[in-house]
Amino acid sequence: MEKNEIFEKLNEIFIDVLDLDECNLTDETSANDIEEWDSLSHIQLIVAIEKAFKIKFTSLEIMKWNNVGEMVNSIEEKLK
Amino acid sequence: MVVNSVIFWLFFAVVSIPYFVFFRKSCRGQNLWLLLASYFFYGWADWKMIPLLTIITVVFYWLGLQIEKNNVDNPKRASHLTTLGVVLGVGLLFYFKYLGFFVQEFAHLFDSFGLKTNLSTFSIIMPIGISFFTFKLISYVIETHRQNIQPSRDFVQFATFIAFFPTILSGPIDRPGEFIPQLSQSRKFNYDNVAEGARRIVWGLFLKVCIADRLFGYTSAILDNYTHHNATSILIASLLYSIEMYTDFSGYSEMAIGVSQILGLKVRENFHRPFLSQNCSEYWRRWHMSLTTWITDYIYMPLNVRFRDYGQYGMYLAIFINLVVIGAWHGANWTFVLFGAYHGLILVIIAATEKRRRKFEKKYSLKKKAYYKYPRMLLTFFLVTLGLIIFRANNLSECFDIIHRLTYNYSFPFTNKTTFVFGLPFILLLIFKEFKDENKYNIHFLHSKRLPIRLMSIFLLLICVFLCGNLDGGQFIYFQF
Repeated sequence: MEKNEIFEKLNEIFIDVLDLDECNLTDETSANDIEEWDSLSHIQLIVAIEKAFKIKFTSLEIMKWNNVGEMVNSIEEKLK
Repeated sequence: MVVNSVIFWLFFAVVSIPYFVFFRKSCRGQNLWLLLASYFFYGWADWKMIPLLTIITVVFYWLGLQIEKNNVDNPKRASHLTTLGVVLGVGLLFYFKYLGFFVQEFAHLFDSFGLKTNLSTFSIIMPIGISFFTFKLISYVIETHRQNIQPSRDFVQFATFIAFFPTILSGPIDRPGEFIPQLSQSRKFNYDNVAEGARRIVWGLFLKVCIADRLFGYTSAILDNYTHHNATSILIASLLYSIEMYTDFSGYSEMAIGVSQILGLKVRENFHRPFLSQNCSEYWRRWHMSLTTWITDYIYMPLNVRFRDYGQYGMYLAIFINLVVIGAWHGANWTFVLFGAYHGLILVIIAATEKRRRKFEKKYSLKKKAYYKYPRMLLTFFLVTLGLIIFRANNLSECFDIIHRLTYNYSFPFTNKTTFVFGLPFILLLIFKEFKDENKYNIHFLHSKRLPIRLMSIFLLLICVFLCGNLDGGQFIYFQF
């Protein structure tokens, strides 16, 4: 799956889980940029991403993410 | 030596003059000087615990290097070493802070079965600041393992991070990734830093000596002798205790942050106007932030990730455990556990209704409406106050007794001139400043663009501190934790 396809799918997941009107994720986007993305919704996002991409992250992978770019890298790794 | 005492300011002057004069070009010199000052400061409080602090610092320094070495080649060993660090940190905390409590509890249990125990001589002296520096040590090994930081290769630098004197006794709990890099370059005397640091110190001093210490007389007179007072007095004292707690701890934090800033070092913020929160979840994001973010990052999130397959219920369990840990962190007493469980339950209810609430607020554009905002703020303040009644009580039966006494016998309250004549105007000033800052930070009073207003604000605050304040270095509530 191409990187832009991953971003497209992620945008949909973020809109759905965080109940946003629109979402334009970039590599640098982090929880500081989206008000609704807090520690409560973070885990719902992870569950939704795992379900949508049919993958499973390890705890350490999840804990290492600092922004969407790092999250996308993990997804790419898993889809290889 | 506490930050609101004359002796501390003499110490600080002796530290900062050579720091900016003799060592201004040497980063290592500044770090070594800070380390010596920090150990002297810590030794002043409790010299017998210096060997423990030194040994534990050496061990964690070594662990950091070993974890990094094994992170790529031998991840299993890196993981084991990290676990060892966490167990060691938690073990220290458990031994010094909780073991005595559990031994006593078991002794009571055995006694109730008729088994004789003799534990009158069992006591462990808790090293001051242990709850704060063990958390720094634990975050260091975890962050190294997560590869979010490079471990320090300079022992003096690492030891300075752990023992940094403005924060070792009562926080804020700094993170290695934010603090250690600041120690790798020399700090020059910077007017803006010194001015801002001084402003925060003056404001912190005002909060502590003009509000917290003023209220202490009233709240302790009532709450320590609550059986002799009516419900109105208990209610007023409880509400004032919330303000006392806030001004005492945030006053200390402001001074610690200000002292650090003068030295050219930025430490974590600890409070963000918590009493303007509209629910308890927001309150915990604004109160003792360096602790709550620590627990969120290292306990709540890992638990949440572990429990994610259990859906919403896994998240509720993680929230509840998170808050119980925050409560229990304060000390070995069931009241702290109940305090945590109480807030845990409230946060679970908030989480369970979050989505519906957000939709409702969006539909009717309620978020900024005064009739929606202010009653919620008041309700949060009452809920926090109820939590602090549990927190302050000496034991569970006292806590239930106080809450029960709040349900009847309302009549004219006990009044005290010192508290109400001096304390209340200062509280009103604090509330006014909090609302002003919430709308736009850093432009009012101490931060006004106009120099005369800035100077006048500092001058008036200092007058209040010297005229109404108590400058004998009164202890801070959070030192006991």
